[in-house]
Amino acid sequence: MNELKTTFSQGSVIARLLGYLILLAVSAVGVWAIFGTLRDGHIEATTTQNVPWGLWVALYIFFLGLSAGSFLLSTLVYVFGIKKLEPAGPLALLQALGCLVLGGMLILLDLGHPARMYKIITSMNPTSVMAWMGFFYNIYIVVVLVEIYFALRPQLVLKAQAGGSSAWWYRLLALGSKRLDPASLARDKKWLMALGILGIPIAITVHGGVGSIFAVAKARPNWFGGLFPIIFLISALASGGALLALLTAVFSRLPKEAKRGVVRTIMRLTVGILAFDLLLMCSEIMVTYYGNIPHEVAGWNFAMFGPSWWVFWLIQLAVGAAIPILIVINPKTGRSAGWLGLAGLLVVVGIIGARWNLVVPPQLTPTFDALPNAYHHARFALGYVPSVHEFLVGLGVVALGLWAFLLLRKLLPLDEAELAGVENHHV
Amino acid sequence: MDMTRRGFLKGAGVAVAAATATALPGCLQEASAGNGNRRWGMVIDLKRCIACKACGAACRLENKTPPGVAYGVFLDEEKGQFPHAYRLSFFRPCMQCEESSCAKVCPTGATSHRKDGIVGVDYEKCIGCRYCIAACPYGARSFDYGHNYIEAANNPYNAIPSSEYGAEYGLRSKGRSPIGNVRKCTFCLHLQDEKGEYREPTACSRTCMGKAIHFGDLKDPEAKCLVHGEKMQELLARRGHYRLKEELGNEPSVYYLPA
Ligand code: SF4
Ligand code: SF4
Ligand code: SF4
Repeated sequence: MNELKTTFSQGSVIARLLGYLILLAVSAVGVWAIFGTLRDGHIEATTTQNVPWGLWVALYIFFLGLSAGSFLLSTLVYVFGIKKLEPAGPLALLQALGCLVLGGMLILLDLGHPARMYKIITSMNPTSVMAWMGFFYNIYIVVVLVEIYFALRPQLVLKAQAGGSSAWWYRLLALGSKRLDPASLARDKKWLMALGILGIPIAITVHGGVGSIFAVAKARPNWFGGLFPIIFLISALASGGALLALLTAVFSRLPKEAKRGVVRTIMRLTVGILAFDLLLMCSEIMVTYYGNIPHEVAGWNFAMFGPSWWVFWLIQLAVGAAIPILIVINPKTGRSAGWLGLAGLLVVVGIIGARWNLVVPPQLTPTFDALPNAYHHARFALGYVPSVHEFLVGLGVVALGLWAFLLLRKLLPLDEAELAGVENHHV
Repeated sequence: MDMTRRGFLKGAGVAVAAATATALPGCLQEASAGNGNRRWGMVIDLKRCIACKACGAACRLENKTPPGVAYGVFLDEEKGQFPHAYRLSFFRPCMQCEESSCAKVCPTGATSHRKDGIVGVDYEKCIGCRYCIAACPYGARSFDYGHNYIEAANNPYNAIPSSEYGAEYGLRSKGRSPIGNVRKCTFCLHLQDEKGEYREPTACSRTCMGKAIHFGDLKDPEAKCLVHGEKMQELLARRGHYRLKEELGNEPSVYYLPA
């Protein structure tokens, strides 16, 4: 038995090492590509004058959606007091922050002049949806940061009091706070609730606002309309839940039973939201085809039957919806944290496809059909396929995100906070 | 012409020197800029157009736009099926919309309306987000990806500055505006004098051999086309006229007389 245990842990050490090596290699290439963008601008990107927003914007809204979704899920714990989910609360908040930073990185790289990004605030144009979105983005970051502090404070104080060589670090993070009495814990809860309540409209404004950036562009009929921001929000919720389930299933050190319970609750919720998301999309598609306005139909034709048809059918629908829904409703797989974590991963991947389909196909129909022939240059050509460089930058950002997560798990008392959540739940 | 050329070169030199020292404010795009008594516009008579496409070529020469950046373009399309085939072709500059989508969505206000109706871009303010491209219903804006016709920096062609915006951004160099910015037709703003009147009309209208592109003031009912001398309002009244995608409510300043 003991022998078996050693071989097993040796195996997992090798697997872990391999994982780190792959991550290291991917990040090296990705960071190199990121520096390439900063040095040479967008010359390596294949976006055009007809499709000005490509893969990076799709990934940006993907991350922002993950963030908003995770945050809104955390309010289930801190505002609505759903005890079952309590262990996942701190992780959800951390996820909200991390994805926000990754999204910010991507959109920074997407700018032609990243060094001038601050002008969105200093020279804000009040009629621009994007400017307002940027404004609320900043407020949102602050709310999430403060919430993380209060969610982790008791554990930080405990860690600091436990002494040891890293006590100074936890003291620093706790911002000098030392109290652990019931009154101070109750105060934490109050703050979390207040910030959560404040955060709900802010998260909705930020992510609904990103959807509105697209929704107000009357030049692109497949974007223009009131349903668009809502679809953004609903897919955000689904992706946030799915990522939370995935990370909990993989990294959580909770007892088996507790872990399974949390993952199952999250995934059931996620699948329900996903179904609603599909309903909204169906409505869009049916109204478009019935209405039969050529440019609008062309947009959906591009998404479903165009060169990236597989993103719609295979990634968004099969991988991202059908399979995970089956996993969750199947009584066998629906009870295993591993399977449910996999379902979470699939939903996350599917939402990347969904984001692509929200951003790119609606731009593929040029504003005038004759435009691509009027100017013979690749920047006016029809269609858009991301370049290798664009993929590498995307990969680089995801890899950096993973490093940040691994590091934060070491530096923050996440496991302890999780366990505290379980104890509260059982008290 | 030689004088102007020398003026441009001098202006460009000053601009380059100044831009390295401080970020120049785009002096031409301040909200106060432009002659408020004018509203510059075009009346394009498609009956006179022979589809030679010289307007687009003239535009490229005048503004020295790099590859992949287009201001005025000629759109040419065959539609329908025999025997009901027809050809749809017209010159499309920026419409200088009164209710423009681009200035409305621009997060930094880099794109803004001048008092004379021209929509300009302040390259120092523009962050290159390309929202304006996504939002313009007329495809009239281009992101400058940094392509050049000739890469060698000391090639004589590259030493000729572009005259747009008073040649403030005359010479291209990597990583500096207008590379990384969104660019557009400005009704050849650089051809205006200090009072906001045109020293000479826009390149496209000047070049048109069919005399199809009329350019002038749309505010003063008596104003005449700066190229051919017809009254602008009379041109509009004589035959039916229309504007592109009128239903979107952008109120373009470019009118078309049907073919
Ligand atoms: S045509 Fe496009 S770029 Fe020109 S003013 Fe109108 S919206 Fe702006
Ligand atoms: S690309 Fe420049 S001009 Fe266009 S919306 Fe963005 S900041 Fe404004
Ligand atoms: S007005 Fe000038 S910039 Fe505009 S299309 Fe004509 S030539 Fe080009």
